[in-house]
Amino acid sequence: MGNRKQTITRRQFIKASAQDAGILVVGGIVAASSGSLARAASSGKDANPFAYDVGRLRKTDPKLIQYEQAGQFRSPYPEPHRIAAGPDDRLYIAAGNYVSVVDREGARVNELALPGPARCVAVAGDGTVYAGVRDHIEVFDRKGQRVAAWESLGKKSWLSGLAVSDKDVFAADAGNRVILRYDRSGKLVGRIGEKNKDRNSPGLVVPSPYLDVKLARDGLLRVNNPGRHRIEAYTFDGDLEFFWGKPSAAIEGFCGCCNPVGLALLPDGRYVTCEKGLPRVKIYSKEGAFECVVAGTESFSENWQKCSPSDCTTGGLDAAVDSSGRVYILDVVESNVRIMARKKESPAASGTRAGAQG
Amino acid sequence: MDPRPEPNVSRRQFLRDGARAAALTGLGGLVGVMASRSSAKGTVWQIDPQKCVRCGNCATACVLEQSAVKCVHAYAICGYCQLCTGYFEPEPNDLNTGAENCLCPTSAIKRTYVEDPYYEYSIEEALCIGCAKCVEGCNRFGNGSLFLQVRHDRCVNCNECAISKVCAGDAFRRVPADHPYLLKTTTHGE
Repeated sequence: MGNRKQTITRRQFIKASAQDAGILVVGGIVAASSGSLARAASSGKDANPFAYDVGRLRKTDPKLIQYEQAGQFRSPYPEPHRIAAGPDDRLYIAAGNYVSVVDREGARVNELALPGPARCVAVAGDGTVYAGVRDHIEVFDRKGQRVAAWESLGKKSWLSGLAVSDKDVFAADAGNRVILRYDRSGKLVGRIGEKNKDRNSPGLVVPSPYLDVKLARDGLLRVNNPGRHRIEAYTFDGDLEFFWGKPSAAIEGFCGCCNPVGLALLPDGRYVTCEKGLPRVKIYSKEGAFECVVAGTESFSENWQKCSPSDCTTGGLDAAVDSSGRVYILDVVESNVRIMARKKESPAASGTRAGAQG
Repeated sequence: MDPRPEPNVSRRQFLRDGARAAALTGLGGLVGVMASRSSAKGTVWQIDPQKCVRCGNCATACVLEQSAVKCVHAYAICGYCQLCTGYFEPEPNDLNTGAENCLCPTSAIKRTYVEDPYYEYSIEEALCIGCAKCVEGCNRFGNGSLFLQVRHDRCVNCNECAISKVCAGDAFRRVPADHPYLLKTTTHGE
């Protein structure tokens, strides 16, 4: 039997080698991607038997929504935190390293530069603007000129709300769980909300950095106490006068571990409350009875998503009210402001109040 | 009529080339698998809490009878809330330890009174099945102090982690064995 010698040309050799290399690469890719394919195939396979289901709570009974959106504008800067209405019905938005002054339709009028991220803002009757950064307050005159920077409150402070009266400025310090009372020159004259039996004060509970303060026309401060799920009324000296609110994921209560996160007052003294987790804005009577919804959770899809995947310390809403009763909702996730006006056919708009629940 | 043309590839050639292609494909697959496994040297599996989507697969896909994944608690982040949304059902009847109010399917979370209105929550790992129901509740409303981790006193460090294959958030990855946990930390005092 003779040997048969097989010959191969250089061209054939290169061609065969290229084919083999290609097959080798394809095999490797198939093997390496098999894990991803298995994951993709299985991820949507079954419903999670351990699901934490709050989907039902995302829908609001349409009968309870008595406001409609009359407009919307972008926050002048990203990462907004608070919104306030001034005596001239201009809006003051604490966002980025600025307090931006805009008119009621969102057109920019002025902006006040700050040394750090703006956390909160309040405007006095004479037009003086008080802006809170994390650890101190900056003061601007009515023309927007910076006139003072008050003393730092230290590393633990986290200013998140401001209110101003004729003679006093009140700063909500979420980090230290206290409302600080200053005179208008910046001198610290009192501490409100700390645990104090003599003043009937059980203490503010602030698990996440949302503490707000507003001055009502009855001369009392209104402070959210998020860990207790209620609104509390204090004198300027720190006596707790009354409170209302209850924890509940249902519409008449305050949901989650720590709500409400923001509040505003309507011209007639009723409350506008803002929540996170289930982002929603609601109206309560002067006595604290639930009245209606300004905007429900279904209106804030991005804000809803924000509390996923890692925590719910950066979502939330804030609100301001102008002299006509329009509610301006600041969405801190979408960085926009929604102008909400009462529906014309709603009972309260025609002089009667909506049925209160809870 | 012209004679039938000779085929370009003989049967013998075809069989030989096919066998060679199959062998090389297998070799390529083997190389791919070995390449992915060689990176596992000195590493262990862990869950990135920032990517975890609480799909529930950690409770059911582990090769162990009781999953090696457990809920852990970052106490420095916790708000010690009276109404802990990782502990209570979304709409509890009351804020007490009654089973009907509690979220955990195995009662693995213990609630201890500290002072009004603060409570401490701790995980009894022997009971925890890693279902992440509490993690979702804590993240949805709170500070996110509850999260899942592969516990390395239990994990057998499979070359191909069965949970990682089905993880909906692609949150499983290998980490150095000398730093086996991916913990959440607080930004307080920054």
